[in-house]
Amino acid sequence: MPLLELDRVDLGHGTQVVLPGLSLTFEAGERVALLGQSGAGKSTLLAEIRRRLDSEAAWCPQGHGLVPLLSVYHNVYMGRLDRHGALANLINLLKPRQEAWQEIGLLVRELGLEGLLRRPVEQLSGGQRQRVAIARALYQQRSVFLGDEPLASVDPHQALRLLARIQARHTSSIIALHQHRLALDHFDRVIGLRGGQVVLDAPARELTLASLDALYPDAGPSNHEAGVAAST
Amino acid sequence: MSAAPGLLRGRSPGLTLARRSLALILLCLLLLPFADLRIITVDPWGELWRMALGFAWPDFMALESPLRAIVLTVSVALWGTFIGAILGFPLALLFHHSRLVRGFCAFVRAIHELFWALLFLQVFGLSAVTALAALAIPYAGIFAKVYAEILELTPRAPNDALPSGVDRLSRFLYAELPLVWERLASYTRYRFECAMRASVLLGFVGLPTLGFYLESAFREGRFGEAGALLWIFYALVATLQWWGHRRLLLPLLVGALFFLGPWPDVDGELLWRFVSHDLWPAPLLEGNLPGLGAWLAGLPDLLPAIGNTLLLALMGTVGSLLLALLLWPLASRHFGRPWLGFGGRMLLVVVRSTPELMLAFIFLLMLGPSMLPAWLALALHNGALIAFLVARHADGLTLGMPNLPASGRYAYELLPRLYPNLLALICYRAEVIMRETALLGMLGVATLGFYIDSSFQYLMFDQAFFLLLVTAALNIAIDAISRRFRPREVPLDDPCSR
Repeated sequence: MPLLELDRVDLGHGTQVVLPGLSLTFEAGERVALLGQSGAGKSTLLAEIRRRLDSEAAWCPQGHGLVPLLSVYHNVYMGRLDRHGALANLINLLKPRQEAWQEIGLLVRELGLEGLLRRPVEQLSGGQRQRVAIARALYQQRSVFLGDEPLASVDPHQALRLLARIQARHTSSIIALHQHRLALDHFDRVIGLRGGQVVLDAPARELTLASLDALYPDAGPSNHEAGVAAST
Repeated sequence: MSAAPGLLRGRSPGLTLARRSLALILLCLLLLPFADLRIITVDPWGELWRMALGFAWPDFMALESPLRAIVLTVSVALWGTFIGAILGFPLALLFHHSRLVRGFCAFVRAIHELFWALLFLQVFGLSAVTALAALAIPYAGIFAKVYAEILELTPRAPNDALPSGVDRLSRFLYAELPLVWERLASYTRYRFECAMRASVLLGFVGLPTLGFYLESAFREGRFGEAGALLWIFYALVATLQWWGHRRLLLPLLVGALFFLGPWPDVDGELLWRFVSHDLWPAPLLEGNLPGLGAWLAGLPDLLPAIGNTLLLALMGTVGSLLLALLLWPLASRHFGRPWLGFGGRMLLVVVRSTPELMLAFIFLLMLGPSMLPAWLALALHNGALIAFLVARHADGLTLGMPNLPASGRYAYELLPRLYPNLLALICYRAEVIMRETALLGMLGVATLGFYIDSSFQYLMFDQAFFLLLVTAALNIAIDAISRRFRPREVPLDDPCSR
């Protein structure tokens, strides 16, 4: 059963088209990795998917979208801001809701952030912030996970663990990332974008690391090495 | 091989700014002969010497109950700022949506605190209401504008990351307000510093703040006492970061309530009569148009006053520009020895903490009532303020070639990077300088303020109000001109410049 169908649509911001004449179908239950250089159109594609799925999808944006002054608890709570009234949200800023505090506490412990619930996000390291952003997306409890490089600033080992958690809690996931090994080993399907075109769309098990090089025209051998190192 | 371009030829942004600044300076020099710059007193240096002595040997014993004046000064500043912020915040939310709100804010902030005080004085007498309204009303307009500018720069990412269907208030409280809270707070803190100066100034119209005692001490030549009061004021400003800490804010606000006073008996009928009748020209109220012409003819000759106001504003702006260019290295870590830098910084802090009117008043006693003391005061105060901000900006920069001689560092490394910002600051200040120019009229300089002050003294409220409107219109016009003139694309990250 298809989750979403794009049939020859032009995607972009304003009048500038980034992805012209795009046709793609996503199946429910699929784990999709989006690869490509920065500027290839991954974020544009994700934004469109997010717009179409709306409240079906949990969203983990590039650069986290966190509020530095607020605590970890409040930042995660923001994932469900739409499910409470304005007054309840206002009171929660002053005094956290009991059940939300418990639930977020568990979630945050699962992601290795225990004891940081009260800490303002501005005092966290890059990797910790990343996990807060993931916690916020998990807290939304949707069936689909959409992530724009949600594993960019954590170490390879941790990326693996976080990805496992994300995929365990969502039936489908569409994630933009840079780690090639991760894409091949832990996803069902890999979509590669280059210069506004889909240049690669295949089951992950049919692909090799070398076949992904086509996405990076100017990648020299040293870059390739670095890419492999980062993805193990 | 082409010839090197001639003097100031070229299209680089730096040269454009340099041409623009030189044109401004040239204009000022051309108009300078029209300004009244006489020194009227017989012995200016002797006067200065006596004042300096008083400042060096302050006579704290001569002060009668300085504590009351100090507490009142702080209380008025605190509550004036607080009420201004409370009024200004909702206005800021509407600011970009409503032309009416923008116009209203431009109007209330175009009139200086002291003129508002003079106006409220007629109804509420020498009371806390007059003092608070005089600060809170113009500040509401200023807060509305600056808060709106800060809110406009809220990063969008957290808001975009929210699930759809979140109500407007929750969006604002979670994903917008916390992101700009620091900047809002730091601007409010800066405004409170301004309010401290304004609160002192309220003494000049008779409210018993520090300024009241300062003015009488200066006027009567008790310079030791005046020196002591000035030292107290500087100490208050210098220790602000400790006693004005945000944890102490609530107790301070509550405590200040007990010292505000006296509270007036407001006669509703009198108030209504003042607002509906006294402020307006009688012929206008009677619908008598020919009479209105006669009323206008009865006004003092405004053209010289307006000319003087504009000229003084131009001279003040250019003076600040030149002084800022000269002074900023004093407080910068890139020049001189550390102790020198510290001394320079202290000097700039002292000069910028002194209320402009106070400076003008001191120069006036020294030099006599011409435009010279007003010019010196405006240029010194604003020049020092801008120099301080520029030095802070410079200290954030790292030099590409640290071994250049000082002149090279100034002209090649730092000034090109600082100048657009410096000029933008000057343009922002032009509006403030204009407002202060009118104010200096209260000291006898023949600007618009002089006629406003005397109209109030003769109880000609209709005339005073009309002149206030003229002043406000001039200010708004100057603000519009300076906004055109100021370099674009300068990220003015420091809201504390306005």
